[in-house]
Formats: sequence, structure tokens, C-alpha cells
Amino acid sequence: MPSVKIFYVTDLHGSEICWKKFLNAGAFYKADVVILGGDVTGKAMVPIVQRANGTWEASLQDHRDILESEDAIVEFEKRVMNRGYYPIRVSDQEYVAMQEDEDLVDKRFKEVMLDGTERWIAMAEDKLAGTGIRVVACPANDDMFEIDDLLTGAQVVETGDEDHPIQLGEFTMVSMGWTNPTPWNTFREAEEPELAKRIDRALSAASDPESTIFNFHAPPYGSKLDNAPALNADLTYVSGGQAIRPVGSTSVHESIKRFQPLLSLHGHIHESKGATRIGKTLALNPGSSYEEGILQAAIVNIDEKKRKVKNYQLVNG
Amino acid sequence: MAAVDEAPTLFLRKATGLVKGWSKFDAFLYSFMSVNFVTLGLFFALSVLAFVPSGQVLPALLISGVFVTFLVITYAGLISVMPRAGGDYVWQSRVLGGGVAFVLAVTGWWFILWYWAPIYGNILNVEVFQPLAAIFELNGISDFLASNNGLFFVCAVTVVLAGYLVSLGMEGYAKVQKYCFYIGMIALALVFLVMLFGSKSGFQSAFNQEAANLFGGSGDVYSQTIELGRTNNAGPIVPELGFSPFFGETLLLVPFLCFWILWPNWGATLYGEVRGASDFRRVMGGMMWGLWVTVAVAAVFILLAAKFFGWEFFNAANLNYWAVVYGFGDASIPVWSYPPLLASFYFHNSLISALIILAFGAWFLGWAGTLFLSSTRVIFAAAFDRILPERVADVSERRHVPVWALVLMLVPAMIVSAFYAYTSTFKTWILDATLVIAVTFFGSAIAAIVLPWWKKRLYESSPMARYTVGGIPLISVAGFLTAAFLGFNLYHWFTNELYAINDPDSLVFMGSMYLLALVIYVVARVVRKNQGIDLKAIHQEIPVE
Repeated sequence: MPSVKIFYVTDLHGSEICWKKFLNAGAFYKADVVILGGDVTGKAMVPIVQRANGTWEASLQDHRDILESEDAIVEFEKRVMNRGYYPIRVSDQEYVAMQEDEDLVDKRFKEVMLDGTERWIAMAEDKLAGTGIRVVACPANDDMFEIDDLLTGAQVVETGDEDHPIQLGEFTMVSMGWTNPTPWNTFREAEEPELAKRIDRALSAASDPESTIFNFHAPPYGSKLDNAPALNADLTYVSGGQAIRPVGSTSVHESIKRFQPLLSLHGHIHESKGATRIGKTLALNPGSSYEEGILQAAIVNIDEKKRKVKNYQLVNG
Repeated sequence: MAAVDEAPTLFLRKATGLVKGWSKFDAFLYSFMSVNFVTLGLFFALSVLAFVPSGQVLPALLISGVFVTFLVITYAGLISVMPRAGGDYVWQSRVLGGGVAFVLAVTGWWFILWYWAPIYGNILNVEVFQPLAAIFELNGISDFLASNNGLFFVCAVTVVLAGYLVSLGMEGYAKVQKYCFYIGMIALALVFLVMLFGSKSGFQSAFNQEAANLFGGSGDVYSQTIELGRTNNAGPIVPELGFSPFFGETLLLVPFLCFWILWPNWGATLYGEVRGASDFRRVMGGMMWGLWVTVAVAAVFILLAAKFFGWEFFNAANLNYWAVVYGFGDASIPVWSYPPLLASFYFHNSLISALIILAFGAWFLGWAGTLFLSSTRVIFAAAFDRILPERVADVSERRHVPVWALVLMLVPAMIVSAFYAYTSTFKTWILDATLVIAVTFFGSAIAAIVLPWWKKRLYESSPMARYTVGGIPLISVAGFLTAAFLGFNLYHWFTNELYAINDPDSLVFMGSMYLLALVIYVVARVVRKNQGIDLKAIHQEIPVE
């Protein structure tokens, strides 16, 4: 194989329409491998509440819907899933109970995230088994640890983390779903010194920079792949969202500078789509518009013989 | 405990990006500073009313405000459908295609802002440097500032200042802008109080006295100003302030007002995730307040100007300034009759006058950073789409300054400033700056009109899909009215000599900017194709099923 064509996306956050596009992207762009870099699961559950009189009611995007038939409920659920949220059918009493008990919410979240991930894996098996297109999905900071086992156990879908590099032809892809701390205290966060140690451990599987690809969820600090609106302590935007600041990881930046991999793929900061060079390394963040159902991606063509990136492109599929 | 009859709300887990929006005040502030009453408003819109002697500014202002409201709805709608994507280039490229979007956005948000540099510089000169030099009777400096070299110097200062503000980063500049808002508003309130409680005869006396002290005028310079205005205009200046005619000739003032009032959409454009229609209303509200508070401030100013300066004097003094600039007449004082300067004469104190002028300078400072910020974003977006070389999106490692993007703005802006300062025709050409941005807005309005049908899935997944007017999507209705309004203005700018931007050289010059953008796009397509990159693929939608 003279070249490897990678289709890279990140931060789908449960968007069903984006996942479907992702599974079709290999054939569409004639890619050898499609990679979901991190943040597989969704962030919100939308309750569809059955009222005492038997009607179903739900609210999406601040709009209240009365759902009068099963078809209407299914259609609504589809809309919810396409935005990356999980629809849940609950009774009045269940809804009220969940509002009062965080544990119930956590439990339900865990169920729907695992169900959703299983469903996605099954869709991938149906779509890509036997096609020769490889599919990789890695967990990242917003993904609970429980999905790792599901991904590891999948047949067609491959996964990787700091201890499990993935071989892409002649190239080794090293993955790191952990990030530097965020204001949301998510599942896989570590202070920079600890993150640096994790990165070092991951890099023990890679020896040759020219045949190494980083799939590090956190973008390198100050690279313009990590520009996010500054936030106040109450998680409101500073200065109406006009105040933009770099929020990436210094450890990631340092590791790229030091190791100089052929390619460094990132995500995490959805609004910071871009490309940059750190030394000889091409670093990319395709960004994410998962809620709108737009699959932002990076297509990278790598020359296996010369061990060079032939070309790349950021697309909105 | 939640009431059962409340709408069900969603459950969120701890996850990155779940923010709570922004304060309504912040959203208002950025819009308000963009549709800047003191800089563009006073200098480019309210100073030219005498060119339409039978028009009435108050109805023109109201009509403009109503139609710019549709522009606000259109932009808030586009933001709501494609949040975080940001800007005309992205919206147009996703709906109309990459080529059209590149040509319109690069011309409107990059090339043309080279020409805004002298516009900004000129405003800095007439609103800050020249008044200060006049107040302190620094005649040598006044002469220098009025010279070609002086004009180039001020433009260069503006370009460097705007470049510095970009290098501060948005976070730093946002703070500067907020301070500027408070200082500017205090200064404006002070001047309004002077105009409210001062008498016209008191102003007339103060003006005559300061005209004599500062500029060597003699006699009743106030009356001389009016007489000169009548001579320069070969007739009456303007009618008494009122509402008649509400349409007719009054409509000719609208394209003048649009030199200023067309920009409230430069406001807050960010959404948090997992949000909905309330964010659409919040974005729209911020811009709407920015627009209508500005309209209200302008209306108050107009009424106070008529009361305090005298409506005929105010317009004659402005007309006389333009008569000197365009070489068809004389003026009674050698600087523009900048209203805060005129009002400050009331104090008969140089220090107070200087402080007022400096405080009003905050309106300029809070606005100057916008000169290159939008351009930088468009240059980055075009580089990420591989239309421009990757290098132009580089940022310096130490301070994260977009070095090449700034070079692509600063160097041409300096060259343009030199042309502006040293050639007379260029001053006319650059008024096209407004026209070209309006063409870009027109493109976005067209994108908004067709969006619900051309990008059905995208539209239907947005909160905008809930808003219709008689069954027609609101975004299309607002887009249509915006396009009609922009079309009205473009027609007049293109065809009517009144606006001084329809001469053939100007049109050829403007056309060359579009041609340049088209050439860059075509060259990029060819070069990238040879590199194995298909630029058409950027916005091709991947099949879902």
C-alpha cells in the first residue's frame, strides 16, 4: 500500500447522524481507516414524560412538544439522538424522582450511554464488516470508563489508549484520551505533571517519530487548536464570549515538540478547528459541530514509503 | 419539587462545554460599540445631512432602524443554525458554496478592511488629534495634521494601534473595550447634559469666542458659518427638524445612515452546547439592544443638536467641512465641527475641553480593534480550507500573535493609507468600503433565504425551524427583507452621485478586488488539485444512510 488515507473526526458526543456519516465516510472519501479520536458519548438526556392522562410530553431546544402517537414519539427520539442527546421515556413519577435524586440520573445516564455505545458498535459491524475499511473509536475525557470494555470487546471497531497503540500499516498511532483539567471535572482529567507521565508511558510503544501518529484528545497549549471562550467561575462566558484564550495542554505541546511525530491529531475544543505545525509535526483539530449534524473531519493522506504527509484537508461532511 | 405541568427539562451530566451563555449586557455592549454612534455615526452619517436638503433625518433613522432589525434577525438566525462556526464566510460557504463565499467574504472582510484603515485613521484625526491640537493652539501640529504627511502619520498610527490590539488577543481587547464603553458613555452623558441645559444663545456666544481664540475668527462666526453653508449648498441647508416628508427625499438619507448603522451584527455570536431557542433570542436581543439603543442615542443627540447648536448651524458647519474636503467651498473654522468639541467650548477651559475629547476617544479605542479582528478570522478560515497557504494561519509561539495574518493586513493597509493621504481620488474610492461589506451581507441574506430548502436537515435541526411567518420560515422572510434593504442601498450607492462613490474609477477599483479574490480562488483550486486536494470536497455532505 503506497499510502494510508485517514479520515479523522472527534467529539461526536452521541450524535447519531454524525456516527452514521462517519461510518459512510470511508467509502465516500475512499479512506483506508476512519478514526473517532475521542468523546464518543452524549452529554444530555431528554425525558419524554408520560403524563397522568396518558399523553407524552417532551421539550427540545426550549420548545415544548406534546407527542400524540407512537410515530410522533419515535420521530422526536430520532431528532434527539441526531443532536447527540439520549431520549428516555419516563413516567411522571419517575421524572420527578430523577429531578430529586442525582444518583437516579447518574444510573440512567450510565445505562443509556452503554446502550448507545453498543448500538453504535452494532451499526459499525453491519456497515463495515468485510469492507476492508478499518474503524477506530477511542474514549476521551467526557467518556465514562465503562465504555472502554465495550469498545475493546468489539469485533470491527478497534480502540486504543495509552497502553494500547494501534498499528496503521507502517505507522503506530498512540492514543491519549486524558486531558488537562477542565472546569467540568470530567472522567479523564489529570494535572499537567501526571498527564506528562501518562504521555511518556504511552510513548514507550513508539520509537520512530516518522512512523508515529499521536491521537491525543487535548490539543497542544497555545497552538491555536485550543482557543476557547474564557469562562467565569459560574460557567458563563467572559465578555460575551469575545474573550478567547488558549486552554490546551502544555504536556501535549511539550511531547510533540520533543518527540516530533509525523502527525498529531486532536479534538476537545470544538470551536478551535485548525491546522498548525509544531516543528516538523503537522497538528490538526477538525473541530466539532455534532449538534448541528455536521461531521467536521480531517482527511490525511500519508505516503508510507517516504513517511510523509502527502496532503491533508479539513472538511464539513 | 418540579410542578407536573411544567415542560420537562433535560438532564445534563458533567461534560466539557456545558456553559451557561453570557450576560445580556455583554451581548449588547459589543453590538453597541460596533454600530458606533460617535465614530461612524457622527462623522460619516450625521455630518452629511445637508447633502439632502429636503430630507428629514428622524424618519430616515427610524426607517433604517426598522430594516436593520431584519438584518439582526437574519444574522441571529444564521448564528442559531450554525453556532460557533462563525461569520459570513462559513455561513455562505456551507449554503452557497466555497467559491462564492470566498470571493464575497475575502473581499468584504479582508481586502476591503485595508481601505477601512484610512477611514479609521481619518476619524482618529478629526475626533482626537485635530481637536486636541486646536484646543491647545498647537498651530504647527494642526498644520501638520491637516497636511498629507499628517494624514499618513495618523493612518499609520491607526494601523499600528489596530495591529497591537489584535496582538493583545480578544481577551485583552474585550477588557479594553469594556472600559472604553464606560468612559465613552460618561463623556457622552456629560455632553448631552451640557446640550440639554445650555442655551443656543449661550452656545453661539461660546462658539464665537472660541473661534476667535483658537482659530483667529472675527465677528459673529456662528452666523458666518450658516451663511457659508448656504453658499456652499447653493440654497437652504436643511428644513427645520421634523417628520415631513416621512418618505420621498428622506429615503435618500438612508444610504448615508447605512455608512454607520449597518453593523450591529458584529456582536456576540457564541452559543454554549445543549442550548435552544432561548439562545437565539439572547443573541438577537443583544444585537437588537445594540441597534435600538444606538438609534435612541442618535435621536436624542439630533434633538439636542437642534436645540443647543441650532439645526441650521449644525448642518451648515458639517457641510462646510465637506466642502473643504471635496474642494467646492470654504469653512469658517479649519477643523471639523466635532460636536463634543463644540459642546466643550461652553466651558471656556482648554483642560476641560481636552478631557472631553480624550474621553470621547474611548469610543474610537473601543472600536479600533475591530478593524483587523474579523479579517484575521477570515484569513484563518480560508487557510484551514486550504485556499490560502497554511502559513498565513501561523501564530507566534511565545505570544500567540497571528503574525502572517497581521502582515497581510498591516502592509496593504499602510500602502493604502499612503494612497489615501497623497492622492485625492482615493478618498472617494474608499467609501466603497461600506458598499463592499454590504455586498457580503447581501450574500449572507441570500444564504439565509434559501437555507431552509437548500440545507433542510441543518435548518430543521436548529431552533430557527420553530419560527415561521405565515408558514414561511422567519429566517427566509428576514433574509428577504434584509436583501431588499441592502439592494435599495446598493442601488443608490451605485447609481446616485450624491453618495460620491459611483464614479467609474471607483467601480473598476472595487471590481478589481472581487477579481483578485476570484483569481486567488481559481489558482488555489488548480494548485490544490495538483497536490491531490479537491477544494469542492470541503462542503460535500456525506450520505447518512
